Amino acid sequence: MGRGRGPLALALVLALLGFLVVVQARSQGQEQGLAQLSVQDLTELVANVTTRNTQLREEVATLQQQQQQVASAVQHGDTSTSQMRSDLSHILAWSGALGVTGQGVQVTVSGSLPAFAVGELVNELRNAGAEAIALNGVRIVPGVTAAGDPDHLTIGGQPLVSPLILLAVGQPETLAGSLTRAGGLVAQLTSQYVGVSVRVDPQGLVVVPPSSRSLTPALGRPRL
Amino acid sequence: MTWLAGRIRSVPTWQVTLGLALLALGFLIAAQMAAEGPRVQYTSQERTPLVATVLDLQKQQDGLKQQVLDARAAIAQLESVGEGGAAVTKQLNDQLQQAQINAGLVAMTGPGLVIQLSDSALPAPSDGNTQDYLVSGRDVLTVVDQLWAAGAEGIAINGERVVVSTAVVDIGGSVVVNGAYVAPPYQVTAIGPKTMFDTLTRQQGFADFIRSRGEAFGIGVAYATPDSVDLPAYAGSVNLRYGRATSTPLPSTGP
Repeated sequence: MGRGRGPLALALVLALLGFLVVVQARSQGQEQGLAQLSVQDLTELVANVTTRNTQLREEVATLQQQQQQVASAVQHGDTSTSQMRSDLSHILAWSGALGVTGQGVQVTVSGSLPAFAVGELVNELRNAGAEAIALNGVRIVPGVTAAGDPDHLTIGGQPLVSPLILLAVGQPETLAGSLTRAGGLVAQLTSQYVGVSVRVDPQGLVVVPPSSRSLTPALGRPRL
Repeated sequence: MTWLAGRIRSVPTWQVTLGLALLALGFLIAAQMAAEGPRVQYTSQERTPLVATVLDLQKQQDGLKQQVLDARAAIAQLESVGEGGAAVTKQLNDQLQQAQINAGLVAMTGPGLVIQLSDSALPAPSDGNTQDYLVSGRDVLTVVDQLWAAGAEGIAINGERVVVSTAVVDIGGSVVVNGAYVAPPYQVTAIGPKTMFDTLTRQQGFADFIRSRGEAFGIGVAYATPDSVDLPAYAGSVNLRYGRATSTPLPSTGP
């Protein structure tokens, strides 16, 4: 072996070594976690991941179509800003900077719930595909969580007065069904917390307001 | 012996390193092969194809997420160069970029911390619930909520950005974030002020979590405060299928 080829071989072996360490760590972590699950849990997991994949495929198709439209507009020197306006409005609404209206559900909670249970209701609505959520008029965006003692709850720092009213935009039957199914979250909460009642009403139209807080990061910067 | 010592000294350093690296490589290959065996035996006939399906779907998901990010980047690139710098277009483009940053659609870097949650090393008592000794979705959600309360401005869980639509779901002993299966240990990364860690550890909710999960069941809670932390972009759907924006605060088209 020539003088220069030894270190090269070493570099290759070390690269392979690093790769294998990562592969080993990843595969062990993922598969060991899965091996602990029951058939029922694995089936639920497959359904969950499949749903996200379907949404991602739709998103890819939408974005590719959009990309073609923009490319075509650019090619024809078309000063079409309508696509950008539409994108902007869409992202602002999705992220909470704009209000959202549409069909959905109203969830009314009477009685005293701990902050964490309120978070669970929000989490369940998100999992069922809610597109925008507000609690007693406060839009739920990242960073806005319920806090405090059950009798002195706050949301995003503002006091919450009973009854709690959650409004969520989304497919009404899916949202309602996810909360009220047998053994679901509503059943769990009402059996666990005495005096709590939860009513879920599908709505033809709900209006979720925009967030009043700034969504702009103050400390982080885009990673290029 | 003197001859042997002299011979060893004459071996170039890279050869020694190469030898050690090859040794470690062999060990890892053997470990990888050995690891396949017990896991295959451990899974039942029904579970094996299901585990394979989950892993396959997750792999497809990684590819789809990359396609979403690539398409978004391509559109942004086209929009930024396509209009010859017209004032309205530039303003719209800047607004669009800022909206994407605010929505979590852009990877970010900044000061912050990482909290790692790992399953308990304690053996579950025979009359106990083994699930109590595993990190649950509820544990991850608690840490996320506590970090928001401590001033975090952006959070990710094992490479999944926490955005407005993020749900953390518990399925058996596994945790699903944004519809993606994430494997333990769970790293919750947050961008926030330098004081975030001190604030977090002073919060009653975090103290309760450490007591009820760390001390009672041995759930591992470790943290790191690197100079900077990175958050990935959210690579998921931002579609509104049932809702629409209530108003359109866009710049005027006129001069």
